[in-house]
Amino acid sequence: MLRSCTAGLRSIWALRGRREGAPRLSMDLQPARRLFSTEKVIHKDWALPNPSWSKDLKLLFDQFMKKCEDGSWERLPSYKRRSTQESEDFKTYFLDPKLVEEERLSQAQLFTRGFEDGLGFEYVIFKNNDEKRTVCLFQGGPYLQGVPGLLHGGAMATMIDIALGSCTGGAVMTANLNINFKRPVPLCSVVVINSQLDKLEGRKLFLSCNVRSVDEKTLYSEATGLFIKLDPEKSST
Amino acid sequence: MLRRGFQAAVILGHHGTLPGATHLLPRFNPASAFGSSMESLVSRFCQEMKKSKNYALPNASWGPDMLSLYHEFLEKTKTSGWVRVPSFRSNRDHIQGFKLPLDLSANSDKSDWRLFTRCIEREGQGYEYVIFFQPSEKKSICLFQPGPYLEGVPGFVHGGSLAALIDETFSKTAYLSGEGLLTVNFNIRFKNLIPLGSLAVLNVNVEKIEDQKMYLSCVTQSRDQQTVYAKASGTFLQMHLEEDSSRQ
Repeated sequence: MLRSCTAGLRSIWALRGRREGAPRLSMDLQPARRLFSTEKVIHKDWALPNPSWSKDLKLLFDQFMKKCEDGSWERLPSYKRRSTQESEDFKTYFLDPKLVEEERLSQAQLFTRGFEDGLGFEYVIFKNNDEKRTVCLFQGGPYLQGVPGLLHGGAMATMIDIALGSCTGGAVMTANLNINFKRPVPLCSVVVINSQLDKLEGRKLFLSCNVRSVDEKTLYSEATGLFIKLDPEKSST
Repeated sequence: MLRRGFQAAVILGHHGTLPGATHLLPRFNPASAFGSSMESLVSRFCQEMKKSKNYALPNASWGPDMLSLYHEFLEKTKTSGWVRVPSFRSNRDHIQGFKLPLDLSANSDKSDWRLFTRCIEREGQGYEYVIFFQPSEKKSICLFQPGPYLEGVPGFVHGGSLAALIDETFSKTAYLSGEGLLTVNFNIRFKNLIPLGSLAVLNVNVEKIEDQKMYLSCVTQSRDQQTVYAKASGTFLQMHLEEDSSRQ
């Protein structure tokens, strides 16, 4: 089933990757091509400060934006929905249409960007291209509760999935995640997720990350993940 | 028992104060270390709360697959000991009258705080799920119908949102089976994508309880079991909740 959705999906995945902020590859679309003739709306970039961001989060954001000035770091943009063009491409390339309900597609939006400001996931990812690592600043809002007063383990798992994925490029899918929770994260606090690519073996990407407090004194969790590069050359079953 | 509880608090908490230090002295029973019988855990956890909406009930967004399997299990609650676990907007509603560990009580009752898997209010848009628990076998089944707001790959469920529901099902199963409270380890292997709007069934089992830790496993598959979507395992730390005599 995985094979059936990989064929011909290179452009879709690259677009999806860009939606979650994957860096531009040198052979990527030129900027002008992103404004398709049918598309008048410019997508909102959610990886930017808003009034719900705490002081800690804003301070860290500013520190990293400074690091971006000399080009060694870059901030990854983050979008909520696919563009009209992406939807059209998706219908063309996706090879098992009976699994997909058209109506639901039109309402769909990226899970982590479906909340009003401050209520869910507030996050921004900065990438260091030379060192193949990323830093994700994450503030979990009141709708992400598990045990009262604490961030839900599953919300942390979602962010770890996103943070690890941000170290990859192009079309990838998560195969495995393994997370050790060391300390619970208080709800509405800010954490820093440092992720890196440890090893590349063919199409397998081995990544790891740690989640720390802003002052780095508390280690909240450590995780490893295995992501697989999709091969668009494979034909459907 | 209390010492174990304090040790757990010291290992896990970084708030500095131990439970009991800043609250009225609880009426604790040293003999009840993780010994709360399952019946008492289930009955106190699964009380219908008059003031809180129970989300573990059908609504107009539930498709025919979800409804028919739900009714199958509802029958089993009458005939073979299964329990339908109620689901509230906040986990606080399950534990009225009990103190939270790690000195969290002060911060934990804000009215806008919501359980992650119940945060999307609009019917059918986010998580539609219900958990049934079988006390005699320490196992659960979660019926899950994901809505369009849970999208990751276009048309399919976001891996993180599935991980969150598996963690949530683990959490309820662990608590009812023996006061498992906090996740210490979580491992998930994704096999196949779940199409948005379809029914996925999560089968959770408690594999082992040892050294204050509960080990659980989960297989997420299609209703006909022909497609395995993911396999997961989790470890939970057992923590006894004290009765809070200051809250009545």
